[in-house]
Formats: sequence, structure tokens, C-alpha cells
Amino acid sequence: MKISCIIVEDIQIAADFLRKFCEKSDLVEVKGHFMNVADALEFLDREKVDLLFLDVEMPGANGFDLLDRLTYSPKIILTTSKTEYAFNAFQYHVDDYLKKPFTYKRFMEAIEKLRQQQAAEISPTTTFASVPQPDSDFLFIKAEDKLIKLNKDDILFLESMRDYVKFVTAGKSYITYSTLKNMEEKLIGQTFLKVHRSYIVNINKIDDIRGNTIYVLGNQIPIGKGHKEDLATRLNIL
Amino acid sequence: MQKIRPAFVFDENLNASFLEELFEGDTIYAETVFEDFLKDLPVYWARVENAYNSKNLPTLGTSVHTCKTLFGYVGFTDLQELCQQFEDKCSVNNAEELRVDYILLIQRKEKAQHIIEKEYTRLRIFNGEKD
Repeated sequence: MKISCIIVEDIQIAADFLRKFCEKSDLVEVKGHFMNVADALEFLDREKVDLLFLDVEMPGANGFDLLDRLTYSPKIILTTSKTEYAFNAFQYHVDDYLKKPFTYKRFMEAIEKLRQQQAAEISPTTTFASVPQPDSDFLFIKAEDKLIKLNKDDILFLESMRDYVKFVTAGKSYITYSTLKNMEEKLIGQTFLKVHRSYIVNINKIDDIRGNTIYVLGNQIPIGKGHKEDLATRLNIL
Repeated sequence: MQKIRPAFVFDENLNASFLEELFEGDTIYAETVFEDFLKDLPVYWARVENAYNSKNLPTLGTSVHTCKTLFGYVGFTDLQELCQQFEDKCSVNNAEELRVDYILLIQRKEKAQHIIEKEYTRLRIFNGEKD
């Protein structure tokens, strides 16, 4: 199955190259090209895609603003001619970084890497090692070379670490090989809520919220712009 | 006997090895890109001029950044570096301090535009002969 994508890019030549590379690969289907963040977000509100090719510097809002507003987690490949964004890219857990102009060879390296990640995510040997019963109070995660039982109620929050997810409890953190997307499907419900591209939080554990930050037992969790509304409706605000 | 046609050789001012890798011998597409460059550059450069004249340095930096990307697609990797330096200076210098660099940038941009105009013509002739 082809990877569906959109291109968010304000330079037409760059977008044309990308589209051409996608077509040539026969692995990636371009669902649309948008010259700015607002138009891309409008599309993404209606339709989900597997991958975003995202320019950083665009008129108005930039690529990181789009990531802040996203309410789900497609794969992200940043396309920019500035290397200074590497740190931000790391913070936002982008999947790859293509420095413009890039060749077809470099493009294919990025796509192959994504395909390998996708294969790992759906492979039964590498997926989240729990036996998730939607209504059960616990789950098992594969960490520290064993299966560890975690009571859902003990989990404060989950943090994405690229191909790994960190489960944070009051006393200890556990890192397991999986993705936040997998966790979303297994945990989101009554008590767990995705509040940022990289964080899922246990609502029962929130101490307070100040501005765009959630405080959970001394930990600070950012609230993504696109998740604010969801969070507000889920909180019991008097 | 079929005549073997020599490959297109890009101007020595351009990063030819990069362009060969980028276009992979597709001179038709190279012609399209060079044509688009000549169409787009004046539009983007007008933003640079407006920003400089109005001393709007953040916009000036962003506009030069866009031109820098554009230069890369036609093989002006050295000019990309100059743009990057100018872009960096936009965040620390004032318009007056940037004057000399700005004049240099204009000169280099005009030279680049001229080279691409010639390359575009050469590509058109080359591709025309192919038909």
C-alpha cells in the first residue's frame, strides 16, 4: 500500500521536485500541496495522511506551528534549507530531515527508513508487548528484558522518544520499543488523553495547568495548540 | 549506425556534479526548472527589495532565505552560502550595516540570473535537437 502524504511548501519548484520524486518512487501518493500552514491544517482536519513533507519557513505560521496544532501523529519529514532547525526537529520527534535541494537518492533513503519504521510498528514481534484488554486496569510492557505489569492508574504520562515510548510513574520510568501512535490506540479513553504530539497524560494525575503547561507530580508537559480544545472539554472545570 | 549524443554539460559557474545528480540526465525537466527559476526569481526578489527598502530585517532575512533555496535548484551552491551569511546578518545588523553586503548580493544575483538565462537557452536548443 502506498504511503499517503501532503506537501506543505511555499516554493513551487521545491514542491514540484517533491511531487516528481513521489511519483517516480511509486511508493508515495501525494494527496495535496499547500503553500501555507492554514490551508494544510484545513485539509488535515478533514483527511488523515500517513506522512507530511513539511517546510519550516513559510509566510505566516511556520512548520512547527503546524505540528503544534496537529491532533494526530503522521510521520513527518522536514524539508528546509536551514540546518539550524535540527534541534527543534529533534524536540518535535520528526522522522527525517531533508535539506533542500535534495536528490532522489536522498529522498528514497528517507522513504525507505519510514517504510522500515512502519513495518516494525505493525510487526507482532516488535509491537507494544502488552495484552491490552480495553477495560482491564493494567497492561504489560516489554522493558528491561522482561514483561512488566503496570497498573494504568499508576501511569502519570507517556512520552514519545522517536521509536520508543517512556512510561512515567511516580517512582520510576520505563522505556519500551513502540510508538505513541500505538499507545494512543490502546490507552486513549476515559483517563488518558493526548495533549501534545509527544505526550499522553493520565487526566487523574494532573496537579494543575498553567498556561500551556500541565504539571504532574513535578513534571511539566506541554499542551499542543491543536489539543487545547480537547483537553478543555475533558476537564471538569467549574 | 545510431549516432551517440554527448550529454549536456552545465555551465562551469554551476555545481555541475550536483545538477547531474539532481536531474539524473533529465534535461527536459532541467529546462522546466530553469524556466520556472527565471519566472519565480523576480517575484521573490521583489520581496527582498521591498523588505530592504522598508528596513524590515526579519522579512528581509526570510525573503533572502527563499531566494537561497531557489538558487540551490539551479546549482548555485556558492551563492546559497552568500545568502545564508546575509540571512544570518539580518538578525544581528541594521539596514545601514547591511548595505555593502546587500549591494554584493544584488550583483551576484544579477550575474546568476544572466547565467541561468543562457543555460535555459542552451537547454532549449539541446532538447530541441533531441526531438
